[in-house]
Amino acid sequence: MPYGALEEIIVLDLSDRLAASFCAKTLGLYGCEVIKVEPLSGDPLRKWTNSNPNNQSGDSPLFLHLNAGKKSITINLDAVEGQNILAALMKVCDVVVETQKPGHLDKIGLAYNQIKKSNPSIIFTSITPYGQTGPYKNFHYDELTLFAMTGAMYREGLPEREPLRYSGEIAQYFAGNAAAAATTAALFKRTLTGQGDWLDISIQECMAGHPHQIGRRAPFIYAGEPDLRSEPRTSAAGAREPYAVGTFRCKDGYFSFLPLGPRMWPNIAKMIDREDLMVNPKYEDTIKRSENQEELEAIFQAWLDDKTREEIFRAVQAAGVPGSPILPPEEVHKNEQFHERGFFQNVDHPNGQTLRMTGDPFRFSNAPTSSLKAAPQLGQNTNEVLRKLLEFSDDQMEMLAMENII
Amino acid sequence: MNSEVNQPLSSIRALELSEIWAGPFCGSLLGDMGAEVIKIESIQRIGRGPINPPANAGGYPDNDPGKEPWNRQSNFNAINRNKKSLTLDLKTQPGLNSFKDLVSQSDVVFCNYARTVMENFGLSYEQVRKIKPDIIYMLMPGYGNDGPYANYRSMGMAIDAITGHSYLRGYPDMDQSSNSLVHHPDAVSATNGVMALTSALVYRAKTGKGQFIDMSQAESFMTHLGEIYLENQMTSSIRKRRGNRHPDFAPQGVYKCSGDDNWIAISIKTDKEWYQLKAIIGDNSLEDTDLDSLEARLQNHDHLDATINEWASTRDRYDALTLLQAAGITSGVVIDCGADSYADPHLNERNFFQIVDHPAAGLYPMTGPIFKFGSDQGRITHNPAPCLGQDNEHILEELLGYSRNTINKFKTDEIIGTVPLPGSDMGGSRRVAKLRKENSKD
Repeated sequence: MPYGALEEIIVLDLSDRLAASFCAKTLGLYGCEVIKVEPLSGDPLRKWTNSNPNNQSGDSPLFLHLNAGKKSITINLDAVEGQNILAALMKVCDVVVETQKPGHLDKIGLAYNQIKKSNPSIIFTSITPYGQTGPYKNFHYDELTLFAMTGAMYREGLPEREPLRYSGEIAQYFAGNAAAAATTAALFKRTLTGQGDWLDISIQECMAGHPHQIGRRAPFIYAGEPDLRSEPRTSAAGAREPYAVGTFRCKDGYFSFLPLGPRMWPNIAKMIDREDLMVNPKYEDTIKRSENQEELEAIFQAWLDDKTREEIFRAVQAAGVPGSPILPPEEVHKNEQFHERGFFQNVDHPNGQTLRMTGDPFRFSNAPTSSLKAAPQLGQNTNEVLRKLLEFSDDQMEMLAMENII
Repeated sequence: MNSEVNQPLSSIRALELSEIWAGPFCGSLLGDMGAEVIKIESIQRIGRGPINPPANAGGYPDNDPGKEPWNRQSNFNAINRNKKSLTLDLKTQPGLNSFKDLVSQSDVVFCNYARTVMENFGLSYEQVRKIKPDIIYMLMPGYGNDGPYANYRSMGMAIDAITGHSYLRGYPDMDQSSNSLVHHPDAVSATNGVMALTSALVYRAKTGKGQFIDMSQAESFMTHLGEIYLENQMTSSIRKRRGNRHPDFAPQGVYKCSGDDNWIAISIKTDKEWYQLKAIIGDNSLEDTDLDSLEARLQNHDHLDATINEWASTRDRYDALTLLQAAGITSGVVIDCGADSYADPHLNERNFFQIVDHPAAGLYPMTGPIFKFGSDQGRITHNPAPCLGQDNEHILEELLGYSRNTINKFKTDEIIGTVPLPGSDMGGSRRVAKLRKENSKD
């Protein structure tokens, strides 16, 4: 949308899972024309999940988010005629984003190595849970089980309880985002050389190679330091101020803090109006403050008890203490900062609802902001796309529709 | 940085002014794809941990910080692969001039310090553009460059809180104060930053024009939570914390296997998976046909969890995984970031770990890169994180054509260096000056 950097690039989105769909959506934000290829029954994510009883159009919030701005065409890929149409589209498009089981596209003659013979500049971005090779390549997955296998879950939660996943669909989004970035790098190379490429993106590797994980794997391999679940108030990374680390209750909700080391002590004491504590020998250094952690925590909590998140947010910013209010989702899309930057845009949907949708997190100097579009209805653009890209006639398309191919 | 000439970004030079995660990881990803990334550091202010950590401090090879702890720190070394290091004191005129000379030969400048840092150096986009009109210049502050929070400082955990993700994480039976702090949004800023920069490179290749990019780290992560904001507007029910469960499927959970703190994640979403699981567990209490309906499984989730836990408790997690996957059941073992991940047969078969020889830290298997390009034969080299200022002379002499005399004077004047100044790990040049003043009194 706002930024036409990738205009004139046509992306075929063959996704039926989140990561690949988000990859294609991200490319669309930068100007690509994204054509979503769906089976006649529709992308399964249209019904994902059924917790949207009030949504008359039937499409899930997840589908509406992932597919904003895309076009939708339907092709029956179980039929040879359908496969032929897809092959013809691959010859004229620039990027294919796909998430089939490794080897599946080879069987039907639609893999990168087969298509590149007729379209050498094509870029295939394959996004699968565990990549194209290796013993897990055919594993069944979802966010919960994949997140478990990245190294990210083991440290989440309390030591005496079960490890926890993040909320949302974090690993899959992250991989989709990384895949879009790598795809764009491949597009850059293509503008210089004319050569395409094939990207093998493993969601597991994206998350296992993420700073949280590599930052914890290094102390293990350097010195055998395990990456254990810990109590929320412990000072895992050394000399932090543990009485003020973590998430605390306040007057109207919760607030998270992360003071980074002893130099934060004066900032905290001033912030809570207790500069007297700074001259109290009980709290004179990190060791003493740790020994008297409970007392200090009670003092800190007493200050928080009659403050709102908004008041605390202003106070931490003035004092230079890292921290942030915990917002429930309904407050996020009404928040003044995101509102003022125009990040959420009102988008009219076919069901008559106007929804605030997340836009582009960037402002580009060379790009005006334009408006977001709603996700397409099933097959909304089939005729338009086949006419434009493959020069199909109305008769041809009518015939294909009758034969349940499109 | 990589030897392969054919990499996507091998024609690109990028200048990184960053610390912690978001900017450095963005730089590493660019370096992975062939860009020459020069990390601009200084001996006046380092982001490589303490200069004098205690002798047994954690996070160093063999728990020994050594003589150059700043070159041995695990977090820095893990996250800064595939880049060079140049130190410059940007608060001096010669340091600033050198940076500008470098800009004239670069394609990209990016910075994840607070919004005003570059401006204060006299290196705003408008100023940098005068030197290199088609420069691509990205700032990535927490909340973007405008709006009421424009000057607010942030960290990954703060973004996690303000976007709603923290609110939804955690054990459903406990309150928010039991939550860990999660810095995941920093990593999202890195991948989104690469997305913005590479798209700007495509745009420049087509139009010859550079770009100023203002990225909000908060908004960046919020694009990963979009369906939650929509769900909130589309339905009357407010999403609650779910832990490892899902409101529409059961059973879902993480179950304890035999051994010490070993777990397996199981996610049953279809009736077919449910029947398979019943057959594998073979417990009479699951034979109640009522449980074959999703509704009943959701209602009896605690009972199902207890039964699955009992079954898992006597099984090796990998044996359980093999059994469940063979039956088509969505499942995964919980692996840690230590021995488990290094032993993982799949990650190993895909060459996820590379033996990296770091000049100050030694020979260790390190993680990543995460991209596999077919044209690279599927393997990008992981070059070790740079030592502080290791490329000073090479860059100043070869790239900028400075004379030996100038370089030597830079060293004497502490514009460049390879050893951080006392106090440079405690907040920068003011602290360095203060310590120096105190020392001169002695």
